[in-house]
Amino acid sequence: MEERNKLEAAAGKLRFERRRERQKALLLGIISIFIFLTVWQMLCTLHIVGENVLVSPIKVIQAIWIKAGDTRPDGNTLLQNILSSFRLVLIGFGLALVIGLPLGLLMGWYRPLDKFIRPIFEIIRPLPPIAWIPIVIVILGIGTAAKSFIIFFTTFVPIVINSYTGIRETNQVYINFAKTCGYSNWRIFRTVGIPSAMPLAFAGMVIALGNGWGTLVAAEMLASNSGLGYMIFMGRSYGRIDIIIAGMLVIGLIGLALTAALELIEGYVLKWRIKEK
Amino acid sequence: MENRNKVELHKISKVFLNGDSCEAAIEEVSLSVKENEFLVLLGPGECGKSVLLNIVAGLMEATSGEVYINGELCGGIHPEVGMVFQELGVLPWLTVRDNVALPEKFRGMSKKDRYAHGQEFIDLVGLHGFEKYYPHQLSGGMKQRVGIARAYASDSDILLMDEPFGKLDAQTRYSMQDEILKIWNQNKKTVIFVTNNIEEAVYLGDRIILFTAAPMSVRRIYDLKDLPRPRNYTDEKFLQIRGEINRHMDLVIQ
Amino acid sequence: MKQRLQITRYQILLNILPILSIVLFAGLWILVSSGEGHIIPSPGEVYDRAVRLFEKPINHVSLGGHIWASMKRVLNGLVFACLTGIPLGLLMGWSKTANSLLKPLFDLIRPIPALAWIPLMTLWFGIGESSKIALIYLGTLMPVLVNTYAGVKMIPQLNIDVARVFGASQLQIVKDIVMPSALSAIMAGIKTAVGTGWIVVLAAEMISADTGLGFMIIRGSNVADLALVIFAMLIIGLVGAFLSVLLTFAERKLCSWKIEIK
Repeated sequence: MEERNKLEAAAGKLRFERRRERQKALLLGIISIFIFLTVWQMLCTLHIVGENVLVSPIKVIQAIWIKAGDTRPDGNTLLQNILSSFRLVLIGFGLALVIGLPLGLLMGWYRPLDKFIRPIFEIIRPLPPIAWIPIVIVILGIGTAAKSFIIFFTTFVPIVINSYTGIRETNQVYINFAKTCGYSNWRIFRTVGIPSAMPLAFAGMVIALGNGWGTLVAAEMLASNSGLGYMIFMGRSYGRIDIIIAGMLVIGLIGLALTAALELIEGYVLKWRIKEK
Repeated sequence: MENRNKVELHKISKVFLNGDSCEAAIEEVSLSVKENEFLVLLGPGECGKSVLLNIVAGLMEATSGEVYINGELCGGIHPEVGMVFQELGVLPWLTVRDNVALPEKFRGMSKKDRYAHGQEFIDLVGLHGFEKYYPHQLSGGMKQRVGIARAYASDSDILLMDEPFGKLDAQTRYSMQDEILKIWNQNKKTVIFVTNNIEEAVYLGDRIILFTAAPMSVRRIYDLKDLPRPRNYTDEKFLQIRGEINRHMDLVIQ
Repeated sequence: MKQRLQITRYQILLNILPILSIVLFAGLWILVSSGEGHIIPSPGEVYDRAVRLFEKPINHVSLGGHIWASMKRVLNGLVFACLTGIPLGLLMGWSKTANSLLKPLFDLIRPIPALAWIPLMTLWFGIGESSKIALIYLGTLMPVLVNTYAGVKMIPQLNIDVARVFGASQLQIVKDIVMPSALSAIMAGIKTAVGTGWIVVLAAEMISADTGLGFMIIRGSNVADLALVIFAMLIIGLVGAFLSVLLTFAERKLCSWKIEIK
């Protein structure tokens, strides 16, 4: 009985220490964000920096609120811009997924295909997607197709590379086991190869979506008349700092939301995988 | 001097927090180690032997209890304690020579002096000619020799060995056991050796402390001072002790 | 015997396929770039354009000059990113307090893509060199910092214990254990950063610049000189590939002890 009490006391102390450590971390985090926002706000309200250089966080929030119903300066409301960007990224990413994922998996599994596609892939790979913009504009104009194509390029490469690497790293033991069960190569590919490749393939999708979202902003600055990238670019032209920072904030938040959504899907598809911490 | 207590543990307990529930790893373990004694701590896998060794080394804090070294209360890392780790304890980006010279480097000895100092121990463990090799160029047994040389080169009187041969294949393991005894005979130190292998324990130890499964506590102590060395695995006395320990050792399904 | 014959045939097929693929690619290019009123310039036209480029440089800057202009920007930004990112990453990885303080701030900034900073940076620093370097700094800081941080976090406790047992001070642990252990992660971060920096510099130059490869592309696009655009793209690809090879080589040199650990 005494033994039990001593153990409980020791554990209680450990729990207390752990909780205090967490509280300390949280508190420090809140303090640092608070200081950051306060300094920012002070810089603006005390007119240490001019209105044409920085606007206060409060004004940024106001700008988002106003922009929800206001089409100035770029001709679209915030929601229209969001939807426009969102649509492009989904088309480009969706296409890259539908083509890139099977291609990467098949290349990783069938060597002749690998040998055939690889040289072309290696030519395209080192080219930053935005370098394609001028050519794409000439062929496809500055509409949805052109920008989706740029996003397609951005997202295609990481998706192919990761699904390729993923299936290449399939544990040989599993393959051998399936072979001894008399499975055909195609059946092993489906039942052993693809599931083994999925964790890495998903990691590739997360990278791809992040890159795609980042590139979209540039594509919209270079050739567009709507979208979040266009919005902050116009904000720059009209010297509207509040629109620029508000736009960056929205871009960041949507980027986070996209990644989170993908990870949610990953958690659902890859239920069997034990998440290591 | 032979009977002085070099290390003394007094009612050491250790509790871990696993998620939200608490787990006792060590329960009031008291023991003492004589000067120049080869003490083996034997227990089933994962029973907390390594935790106990880390507490002696000062790498972990006990939940309660005290560690005395040379009769003085010790509350952390003690300069007289050296340690031989499992295979990974050899730092992969350092050559054999630099690994062995590491303790002296931390003490601020010049490069030339610490290489000269380390050479003696590199020779002692039979790695002469391998000074400039990186660990990835060495076999498992050789890496372990580096670890032993380093612990010896640290000039500590007390050597803690944490299952140093656990990852070696059986053949290498036997030869390393002979090696460690040879080195210990040439250069007597107080050794605390942790293992989960009964044969290894009986082959090496002056004394064996057998522990229960977690929460770990002392089950029995075997004094093997009278068993002459070099010991023989098939000796009748050897087998008898081995069998007796076997009967008292907890079975842990892992 | 039949078995062996099949294997050799398979081997020959494997060797022919890459050549076939390149030939097809070239053929396709020639096909779309031939005929009346073709939009895409043919390989020959790109070659002619490249030759003319050496005779009459764009903006009075030679090709080498444009390449160097882009590379210099990346290098400048990267050096600043390393000078701040590596110490910050080490600090955040090593000290819990520093991490609790700084991580929320970086989490706030991190989701914003580097290219989204272009309007703000050009507004703050004008359209000259400093805004481009600031942009590249922002784009390269995160990969360097995040990798350094992760590198420190991934160091096996055993390595640190080794140093502690043998009496190392905190400073010695950081210098002799943490830095070498994290080195390969830091190198990986720099590699990613160079890739990102290369993209950012092109975007920045395409939006406003009078030198650099991004400028070359946009100039070609503005005067409907697609041969110049394609030539610039080729150079961009080559330089990008070269940088990646160079960094892999540097990584091998610096982390030679790691080669055989897989």
